[in-house]
Amino acid sequence: MRVLLVEDEPQLVKEIKYFLDADNYICDVASRVKEASESIAVNPYDFILLDLGLPDGDGMDLLEEIGKCKDMPSVIILTARSEVDDKIKGLQMGADDYLSKPFSLLELKARMQAILRRKSGFKKDRISINDFTIDLSAKSVHYLADEIKLTGKEFSLLQFLVINKNRVLNRFQLAEHLWGDHLDDDYQSNYIDVHIKNIRKKLGAFGSTDWLETVRGLGYKVKI
Amino acid sequence: MKLSAKFLIYNFLSKGVLLMVFLISGPYLIEFLAVNNTDRLLQEKKEEVIAIIEQDGIERFISEENRDIGYGSYNLLKEEYILIERVNFLYASDTIFVEQRILDETSVSYRVLASTFLAEDEVYLMEIGRSLETIQDFKEIVFRIFVSVILIFLILSFLLDYRFSQRIMAPFHLIVGKKLSSIKEPQQFVHDKIVTNTEEFETLDLAISAMMRRIQKAFNQERIFISHASHELKTPISILQSKVEAMFGSEEIDHVQMEKLVDMQGTISHMKKTVNALLLISKVNNAQFIKTESVKCNELLAELFEDWEGIAKDKSIDLKLDQNPPYVLKNTNQSLLLMMVRNAISNAIKYTPRGGCIRVFGELMEGKYTIVVSDTGFGIPDEILKQVKEGLVFLKDAEKDKSGFGMQLMFKIAVYLNVDLKIQNTEKGTRIEFAFPIQ
Repeated sequence: MRVLLVEDEPQLVKEIKYFLDADNYICDVASRVKEASESIAVNPYDFILLDLGLPDGDGMDLLEEIGKCKDMPSVIILTARSEVDDKIKGLQMGADDYLSKPFSLLELKARMQAILRRKSGFKKDRISINDFTIDLSAKSVHYLADEIKLTGKEFSLLQFLVINKNRVLNRFQLAEHLWGDHLDDDYQSNYIDVHIKNIRKKLGAFGSTDWLETVRGLGYKVKI
Repeated sequence: MKLSAKFLIYNFLSKGVLLMVFLISGPYLIEFLAVNNTDRLLQEKKEEVIAIIEQDGIERFISEENRDIGYGSYNLLKEEYILIERVNFLYASDTIFVEQRILDETSVSYRVLASTFLAEDEVYLMEIGRSLETIQDFKEIVFRIFVSVILIFLILSFLLDYRFSQRIMAPFHLIVGKKLSSIKEPQQFVHDKIVTNTEEFETLDLAISAMMRRIQKAFNQERIFISHASHELKTPISILQSKVEAMFGSEEIDHVQMEKLVDMQGTISHMKKTVNALLLISKVNNAQFIKTESVKCNELLAELFEDWEGIAKDKSIDLKLDQNPPYVLKNTNQSLLLMMVRNAISNAIKYTPRGGCIRVFGELMEGKYTIVVSDTGFGIPDEILKQVKEGLVFLKDAEKDKSGFGMQLMFKIAVYLNVDLKIQNTEKGTRIEFAFPIQ
């Protein structure tokens, strides 16, 4: 999976690139509009992560060029701007998603996976853990043939953990995924424990949930 | 009381008092005029009679043989009479008096002019009388006309005053109604000039517009500052967050270091929320959200209930969704609406002790769709509520170490979405009502 990261902030570039490399993405970097334009013209990308405020122009201008590509890559706009107009304009010009800074790298990964699922044309996207099957497309959980009813938030939490399998996710990362970062509530990270408890209870009625681990003092992990 | 009503009452009373004075003094005035007129008529009659006597002699009235009897004559209806008789005295001047006379067994009052004159070396007394009944009739007719004219004048002047006061106050009502009362935030102020030829209202309109320009400018400066400051903070926070996440994913870090990183993550999360809350408040203040969405409120409440039911249960709080009839709210913003109601439920859960109860319901109250969140919690301190209502952003509840952005956002969003928000501390806890505008 080839990704072009268009971002002018070196430190952020370093971290995103490191993260994507670790996840087996091939990541190219462009820090200016001109540089990005050249890369897009030459290389076929699956994803373009696009910052809008670039030193030599507006990242939005690149969207037109991207639209002309034969195999149009998926675009996620990454920006500190959070004006509604920018968001609408970006999505209207063909961007697939819009992530406001500061964002979590795990959230970025989840969004990228969601786009991939969407673009794969309703292909079944199932993950099996022991006898549990988590269908990311249908947003359902089954134990063998039995469906387990989870609430929207519980499924979203489980999905986020499954997507980031074998990685410890702390309560703040999980809370941000569930509620965004507007809820003025320091308690929300504690609410994660409640949701995890409920997920374990619902799933535990069918089979062992040892794969949903609590990492003491840190957070939770799905171990597959 | 309205200024126009005060003008009306003043005009009505002042005119009423003047007309009352006229009404009271009217009969006396009319009588005075009527008597004066009668006296003038009597004088004219006397002059006519004297002229006849001077021309034709006294024989025209009293023949030689009737000199001792004299002359007396009433007209047909006994309204006037003339009497001439010989006397042996001479008045210094004419006398006018009122005298009762019995005619056909009826007592009649007459205004009588008595005058003496010389004719053929003899002194004659001439009395010319006019019935006061005719004066009375005249007086009554004039008085009736007088009263009718006054009443018509009073009614007409009241109606004219009313119309005039309405017309003259119209620009003032336009300034207050369209420019001031209908707006909730300074940005909504419309600078269009009010059309009026009243100089005072023109000055008022211009002064208010100038003042609002200054307020809008101050608001914009604050918004731009918050927006720039927030954006400037976002990139460094993003870098910090990605660095911490990268370290968190590293296998070279031990458990203790991981715990420190989680703490750092918490601090970053808090910084993000603060920056985002500031930016959100600034954006809501400046109406930077679209309001064209339709929201199924019952589905929104059901979704929130599902999200929070488990958390409430874990805290042994009885969270119940009562009445939830289908209702579609138009021309609103779904994410802001969700955030507003979610903050109310989240606060209720936070401040309700174990074993407490939270009721959430939506229903039509006085024609308005209303969402109510009531709890049996500790209530919100009055000073905090006051601060939030006054629009203070940087409030701090030191005891609980909360920024209070959630409440602030709730109020700001309510104002932006034209929601009538009521927060009451009841005997049992807190009751929050979101009454939506009638569609």
